[in-house]
Formats: sequence, C-alpha cells, structure tokens
Amino acid sequence: MNTLIHLENIVREYQMGEEVVRALRGVTLSIEPNEYVAIMGPSGSGKSTLMNIIGCLDTPTSGQYFLEGEDVSDLDDNELAEIRNKKIGFVFQTFHLLPRYTAVRNVELPLIYAGVPADERYERAVAMLAKVGLGDRLFHKPNELSGGQRQRVAIARALINNPSLLLADEPTGNLDSRTGTEILALFDELWRQGNTIILVTHEPHVAQHANRIIHILDGQIQKEESKTSSIPV
Amino acid sequence: MVLRESISQALFSIRSNKLRAFLTLLSIAIGIFALMGSGTLVTSLEHTVSSQILELGQNTFRIDRRPSFLVGHRAWRRYRNRPPITLQEAMKFKERMQPYARAVGFAADISGVRIKYEEQTTNNDFTLYGVDGGFFFANRLDIEEGRPITDEDLLLNRPVAVVGADVVRSLFPASSPLGQHIFIRGRRLQVVGVLKARGNVMGQSLDKVVFVPATIFLRYFSQNVPARWRSFALYVESPSAESIQETIDQAIAILRGLRNLKPWEENNFEVQTNEAIGSQFDSFMQYLQIFGLGTGIIALLAAGIGIMNIMLVAVQERTREIGLRKAVGAKVRHILTQFVLEALTLSQLGGIAGIVLGGIAAALVGSSLGFQLVLPLDWIIGSVLICTLLGMIFGSYPAWKAARLDPVEALRYE
Repeated sequence: MNTLIHLENIVREYQMGEEVVRALRGVTLSIEPNEYVAIMGPSGSGKSTLMNIIGCLDTPTSGQYFLEGEDVSDLDDNELAEIRNKKIGFVFQTFHLLPRYTAVRNVELPLIYAGVPADERYERAVAMLAKVGLGDRLFHKPNELSGGQRQRVAIARALINNPSLLLADEPTGNLDSRTGTEILALFDELWRQGNTIILVTHEPHVAQHANRIIHILDGQIQKEESKTSSIPV
Repeated sequence: MVLRESISQALFSIRSNKLRAFLTLLSIAIGIFALMGSGTLVTSLEHTVSSQILELGQNTFRIDRRPSFLVGHRAWRRYRNRPPITLQEAMKFKERMQPYARAVGFAADISGVRIKYEEQTTNNDFTLYGVDGGFFFANRLDIEEGRPITDEDLLLNRPVAVVGADVVRSLFPASSPLGQHIFIRGRRLQVVGVLKARGNVMGQSLDKVVFVPATIFLRYFSQNVPARWRSFALYVESPSAESIQETIDQAIAILRGLRNLKPWEENNFEVQTNEAIGSQFDSFMQYLQIFGLGTGIIALLAAGIGIMNIMLVAVQERTREIGLRKAVGAKVRHILTQFVLEALTLSQLGGIAGIVLGGIAAALVGSSLGFQLVLPLDWIIGSVLICTLLGMIFGSYPAWKAARLDPVEALRYE
C-alpha cells in the first residue's frame, strides 16, 4: 500500500514580535491508509500546529510533507485549497456550520468549490446526511439541531467529497459524554468502512478509540502506542 | 452558483442589518438620485426647448437689444449700454427690410398684466404685446376669429386688441369677445381678433396674451419707461431656409446703416436665430448639468465609503465563515467573487432605488413645470454602470482582505 501521509522532519516556527516560537521541532511521521490515529498532547504541545499542517491549512517552515506521494509542503494558497477540497475532510470542535444554511446546504459547500453541478450536489448531500443518520433533518438549520446532530452534519460535510483523510479536532469537546460516545461510534464505523481518521484530542478515553496513539510534547513526538484494533463500543 | 449564492448572501446581510444597510443604500440612492434627477431634468428641458424652437419657425430670426440668456455678471456690463431699438427705428428697419424677407414685424412687451371685462378681472399673469401688422406673419400666429393688428391700426392709433385664447376662456366663456371692450390698466380697448390657441410650453400658457398696436402700447402702457427707451424686438422671416444667412446679413447691414455704425464698430444689437438661442440655452444647461454631476459625485463618494464600511464589517463578522470556506476548499477567487458580488448587489440595490427616486422626482418637477418628460435611457445606463464601478472599487478592498485571511487564524477567530 502507498503511504498516505509522510512527514519528514517538519519544523514550524512562528514570529511573535522579537521572539521566534518553535511550535514543531522536527516531526517525522508516516500514516498508512485506513489507519485510525489519535494525536494527543496538552495545550501548547504543538498538536494543533501539527494538525493544521497535516490538514494543509498551514505549511511547515522546513521539512517535507508528502500527501499520497505528492509534496505539498511548498504549495501556494490556491493549490492547498484544492488539496483540502479533494483530499481532506475537517471536523471541528465547534462544528463551524454556516448558521443560515440548512443541513443540506452546509453539506453541499465543499462540492460548490469542487465545481459539482447543483443537482448532483443536492443528491449527494442528501445521501450523505442519511448515512450519518440525519435523513429526517435535511432542511433544519444549525440552531434547530442538537449538538450531536450538528456534529453529524459537520461529519457529513467532511465526507461529502470522498476525502483520503478525515481530520477531527476535538470532535467531542463541545458535546456531553453520551452524545460524544455516539459521535465516536460513528467515527469507528467510518473507520471500519475504510476511511483514514486522525483524531486530535487531549482526552485519553477518546484517544482509546484509535489503533495508534501519538503523544506530542513540546513540538516533538514523545511516544507512540499501537493497538491491534480500536475499542468497539 | 457562486453568483446566486453571493446575491442571496448579500440580501441576507442586508436583511440582518437593516438600519446599517438602509443608510448605505440611502447614500447610494441619493447620489444616483442627484445624477439621474438632473439628467432627466436637463434632457426634458432640452427636449421642450428644442420643440419650442421648432415651433418658432425654422426661418425666423429675431434682432434684440441683448441676448436672451445672460450668464455671469460680466455679460450684463457688456450689454447694458446698448441703445434700445426704438419704434421709429423698427419702422424704418421694416420698410427697408421688407424687399428681402418673407415677413418683417416687431414687438415690445410687458408682463404681469390684468385684463378687465365688465365686472370680471383676470389674474395678473398676462403679457401685453405692442406689435405691428407684420408680427403675426413673421411668427406665423394664426387668427381664430376676427382680424390681426394691422399697420393701419398703428398709423391711426386705434385702441384695438387681439386676445389670446386664455382671455376668451376666462372673460368670455359663453359669448364672442369680438367688438367688446376690455380694460387694461384703465385703458379701454376694443377686441378685434382672437388668436388660435397655442397650448403650454415650460409650464407657461402661450395663450395668456393680448396684442395692441405698437403706437397705442407706447402711449398707454409704457408709463414707467419713457417711450424713447422702450426697445422693440424685430422679427424677420427669410424667404427660404437656404437664404437665412443672407437675410441675416442683409438685416445686419440695414440696422447698422440706420444706426450709422462705423465699419470698426461692433454691432450694438443681437441677432438671435433659433440656433443662437439654442446655444445660449446649452451653456446655461451646462451649468445645471455640472451642478448635478458634482452633487452626485460627492454623494456617490460618500456612498462608496459606506459600502466599504459595511463590507469591512461584514468581513470582520464573518471571519469564521471565511475560514471554514477556505478550509473546505474555497480559493482566493471564490472569496473575492463572493464579497465583490455582495458589494455589487448592495450598490445595485441602492442604484435602482436612486433611479426610481430620480425618475419620480423628475416626473413630479417636470409635470409641475409642464415639461415633456423624457426619461434619459443613457443616464439610467450610466447610473447602473456607475453603481457597478462603485461596488467594484469600494468592495474590492474588503473582498481582498477577506480572500487573504489565513484559514487557521480565521477559524480560531472569536
């Protein structure tokens, strides 16, 4: 199998006034297709920076990043946007749904930028919402949905363009524990269907769902744990 | 898709910030209104005047003491010392000009005249003309009933009058005025003719008129101005359209001769052709147009700043949305297009409001002044273009700011 993600000695520095902050100090990491990876670390450890780089929202100061064999560490904004559109599905802690849009239109959004025609967009969005269990909430707006339902809409949006990688940043952080468990179960299911999932979290019980846990501390990989399979719920 | 999306987005943000959007739209509307309003007015005025000029007759020209439209204080200085065209001069001119023209006539007038008949009196908005027999021919004024003023009336000092249709309308609704006696400023005049109705131009009736022989005019009605200072206008109709310039030259030569002007002296009178009056009118219109344009540009500048402001606020408020859109694959041009289109929607809405307002205002003013209303298509198109430009110019900076946002920062924005 081709390696999905290969990070080679990634360094990310920020200029904060006079000072240079080194958020990542040489991270080397490979992730294969259909892995279920959790990235753990306390706040300030650099895990968010790492996630931004893996998600092509940010580029490294030095080092190389190969996504499906393509070097993406030196692309410009528009090229990165295209990569994000085609290969990466984001799930955020705060959902980031557009408040005025119905569930269907929120899910359609990535397809708009992919240039998919309106009819097809609509059909695919409806199918995807059904898949995450929201077939009866197609035309509700975010404020008419519960937290768990909102996160499902966000997951449907992340999956709509068949990404190579599902990137979830604290996906249960804004949910109560029961709803959080449901959402994690959905991730487990998506993983079993063949998706590659990267979870960023600071909660050990969330990380336990993954079959590989990467601990980040002070901008470096501190240790890795591997398991043969994730915990079924 | 991006187009429809952006327009509905723009409408949404207008709805969600009604007051702010209203103020912005208002400023655009005022700018376009000023542009449009003055445009419509100017076009309508021009249209009216040119149809009026046409009405005066293509081949008729007028010789006056001074030009009809004087713009600026210098003009008055230049013309104030010109001698009046006296009755004697007018009569001599007519005698010598007659062989070269189809018709020659002259007239002097006073306005603000009341007409009395038995117990009834009209408003004081009638104009009294002291004319000769040729005046009616040179101006192609048709007589409905009775006869025009003749040169014999002048010679014999007959106290007779030819009245306009409005005189008949207000004083003789049922009977014929012919042979009746009317009073103007206490002077008794016998009505001998009625002029054919001519209608309105620029909100003024052309039928609020009374004509009397020029000699009677000077004797009875010139009380404030000594008769020798009363200036007459000479009307000449040339035999054909081709010969008008020749006829003008002839008229100038005759009047210069009468006045013994030396070859190096300038004409101390003004030849006014339709064309000359038209060009005087044009320069007057230009002032009006520049004024409207200036007001409009200032208002539109303010409107543009308003657009920029509302768009900058929108970008700020929707930073997280922009971050999300970029995260799911929006490119720089997508975000740019979205916000520029929003600005365009705003400016076009304002523009449409302005066009409608401007059109209505012009219609109101036009109808109250009796213009023929001409909605200037070129001004409407111009307004739409200006609004487009406005949206583009003042919307592009906020849009550029939005498109350049760093997605990581934008997503984290609180």
